[in-house]
Amino acid sequence: MVKFLSEEWIDIGKKYMLEKLDPVKDLKSITTSLLGVVEHIPPDDITMNFYLELEDGKLKDFIVNTGDTFDEKNAAYEIRGNYGTYKSVLKGEMSLGIAVLKNRLKVKGSKMQALRLIKPLDGVIVSLQKITDEFE
Amino acid sequence: MTNFLSVKTFNKKNYINFYLQVIALGVKMTSDGTLSLENTSFKEAIKIAKKGTHCGMCRFDFLESGVCPAGRKKGFLAYWPQGRMEIVKQLYSGKVKPTEKIKDIVQSCNFCGCCDKQCNFTTQLRPEKVARTLKEFVENLDENEFEQVLEDDIIRGLRDIVGEEWATNDPVIISSYTFTILPLDSELNYYVVMPDSTKQVSEIIKFANKNNIPYLPRSGGTAFSAAAPTVLAKGLSLERGIIIDLYRLRNLEIHPESCTATVGAGITMFELQKEALRHKLRALAAEAGAHVCSNIVTTGIISTWGNRYGAFADNFIDLTTVDDQGNIKKHSDWERDNPYSTEPGFTNLSLTPHNIVTEAVVKLHPIFEDEEVVLVPFEKLRDAYRLLIILGKRGVGLSLAVLSRKYLAEFLSPTLQISKDFDYVCKNYIKLNYVVSVICNQDDKKIVEDMVDYTIDQSLMRSLILGAPRFSNLKDSEFMKILSEEEDPLKTIFAGPMRDHLEKALDPSPENVAKVFDEDLQDFFKNVYSKPEMTDIIWLHAFRILPTRMMRQQMFMGPGGAMWTGDEDHYLNWIQMFSDMGDKLNVEHSLGFITPLDNGKFAYMEYDYYYDHNDPEVCDRISKIVVDSMEQSLVKGKVLTILNYLFKGIYRKEHVLYPIAEGISKEEQELFKELLGTVLGDEL
Repeated sequence: MVKFLSEEWIDIGKKYMLEKLDPVKDLKSITTSLLGVVEHIPPDDITMNFYLELEDGKLKDFIVNTGDTFDEKNAAYEIRGNYGTYKSVLKGEMSLGIAVLKNRLKVKGSKMQALRLIKPLDGVIVSLQKITDEFE
Repeated sequence: MTNFLSVKTFNKKNYINFYLQVIALGVKMTSDGTLSLENTSFKEAIKIAKKGTHCGMCRFDFLESGVCPAGRKKGFLAYWPQGRMEIVKQLYSGKVKPTEKIKDIVQSCNFCGCCDKQCNFTTQLRPEKVARTLKEFVENLDENEFEQVLEDDIIRGLRDIVGEEWATNDPVIISSYTFTILPLDSELNYYVVMPDSTKQVSEIIKFANKNNIPYLPRSGGTAFSAAAPTVLAKGLSLERGIIIDLYRLRNLEIHPESCTATVGAGITMFELQKEALRHKLRALAAEAGAHVCSNIVTTGIISTWGNRYGAFADNFIDLTTVDDQGNIKKHSDWERDNPYSTEPGFTNLSLTPHNIVTEAVVKLHPIFEDEEVVLVPFEKLRDAYRLLIILGKRGVGLSLAVLSRKYLAEFLSPTLQISKDFDYVCKNYIKLNYVVSVICNQDDKKIVEDMVDYTIDQSLMRSLILGAPRFSNLKDSEFMKILSEEEDPLKTIFAGPMRDHLEKALDPSPENVAKVFDEDLQDFFKNVYSKPEMTDIIWLHAFRILPTRMMRQQMFMGPGGAMWTGDEDHYLNWIQMFSDMGDKLNVEHSLGFITPLDNGKFAYMEYDYYYDHNDPEVCDRISKIVVDSMEQSLVKGKVLTILNYLFKGIYRKEHVLYPIAEGISKEEQELFKELLGTVLGDEL
């Protein structure tokens, strides 16, 4: 059982993406960084962040921290949303794109640029969907 | 951990009893679990309910015939005529089973007949028959056939905020929201809550966030009802969670000294307009049933008065909003991010509102003593469009629009058949395909009359409304066939000696138009049509009670958008594109209206497709039109499509319309397709 946002989730996520994803085919050789801010995490209603960095389609960094701020790195994009929304995305009930278009996930920065990333990020989302099987 | 789904105690024996009762009423269960009908009244009820399009006209008193007392008192959609119709459909499909609450729903109806009068005026339906059948059905069920709905932590939490009676997880009540916020295939795992203050809305959002439950506000629901049968339903609906029904936010105050009104989110355009009129003021008018706040948010109030009164953020002085964290803000707050700007570009799509607007302070406008209506008839669209844009750029008139023949026929005709015949006569005999409708003061009227050869005035329009049945009878007239061979039949009939003959032949009177309604309603409609406002084109333009007739017994979809008017051919080719799509996919179609914006620099156009929303195959074709027309419009450029319009109404028009969009590149077209694939699930 791998719990969303746990240390184990990070470790297995890194391993999975490095081993299973083709930088060119699956991740379209993208170079970007993304900060996911997960709010209202039960049971204590806390906020956690995960930072994900890709360089030429290769996973360069994947970090999780707890707290309202994340100062370790400067991400190109910040996507902020409720725990429930992230859970729906990771359970495959809602796509990342529709979560953005429904304003469930708020993008800091250009929506156009962020939406351009959705397709290349599909591989990452699918990876996280495959390894995450426990919430709350 | 809270159990999100309500626990139900409806055992197998209950189901058997339920269906035995259903059979006794002449309703049988088929092998697929749905109900087949032998009972005539149930059969008719289903037929009526399926034709219902959730126009929402039964929720306010537009004919001075009263408004559904049960709906007014109980609030939830299930207690309104449109909600009862939806419940009958849902029972029939087997999707929902009776609950204890349904007893209260059927008993709350006193069969006052208000709904029949209202619904018959617009769509010729008789919702009271549905209510009677539903009551008969429920009263014949045994006590043990009602499903028990148990409370859970979420419903208890919501009731703590709004009070016991204003939050529910009852599946019957929830089912009534299908088609107007819930997708047709939803599993009814929702809660409905009806706050009566901004503070309560804020608390509900904070509660939803804490429990990680999605939510969506709902007002009239008519915008979603148009999208529900199409591929857009998934993107625009709530997939689970809390429906925040804003009906109880009913504050309405007119401030004559500042020409403004404070309007709660539960107030319709009709209600605002009626109060404004008492002070000789006028609001920018969306359709009568549209809720003021939600219409501001959704599309910024698209109206024929927009060239003069404004669009988008021009419409309001201030908004009270609740953001997605439950924070209450006002646009007038000093220290906040700019609430009026939005990112340009075709990818700036939003399928839900960013914030919930709970109250708006809207602008009102003076009504002048010398206002008049003048309509200029045209055979060709180019001529009508050209006049419209000239008038828009010169700032002539208060309300300006090209209205299609189809619109005229639908709006003026009391029944579907009369509208078809009306349309036939206009098209085949007098070549009246478009009118430029201008509401203006005397000075502007003179300007218009100097620009054209002939016009239609208020007097003739009154005759056409009260004489619509006679006018449609001209379909078989030999005289009209001869008239059609004239070089300019429009001129002959509207400017020549024929005009007086036409008015006499129409024999316009409230009695004559009332005769086409059901016998038991004829006296009522005679009184309705005797009221001056029912034939007053200015009043009808401001109160907009007639557009719902487009939805009589079938749905319509009206894509379009706002296009730059600098290139006449570009604009008209765009309209032709919609026409070609309708022909190609064999769907009834027509231009709806064109109205200028921003001093005629843009013009909003709606192109309508009419179809049976109960036919999945035709719904697929409509979906294809929606998607293809959007994509091709973006390729053409200079346009803000209706999808890009959505949820931009709170921003300044200058930020929404400018910079003028260029046609998208091949690469951007691919991105757009990907985006739509995301929204629509690659269904097309």
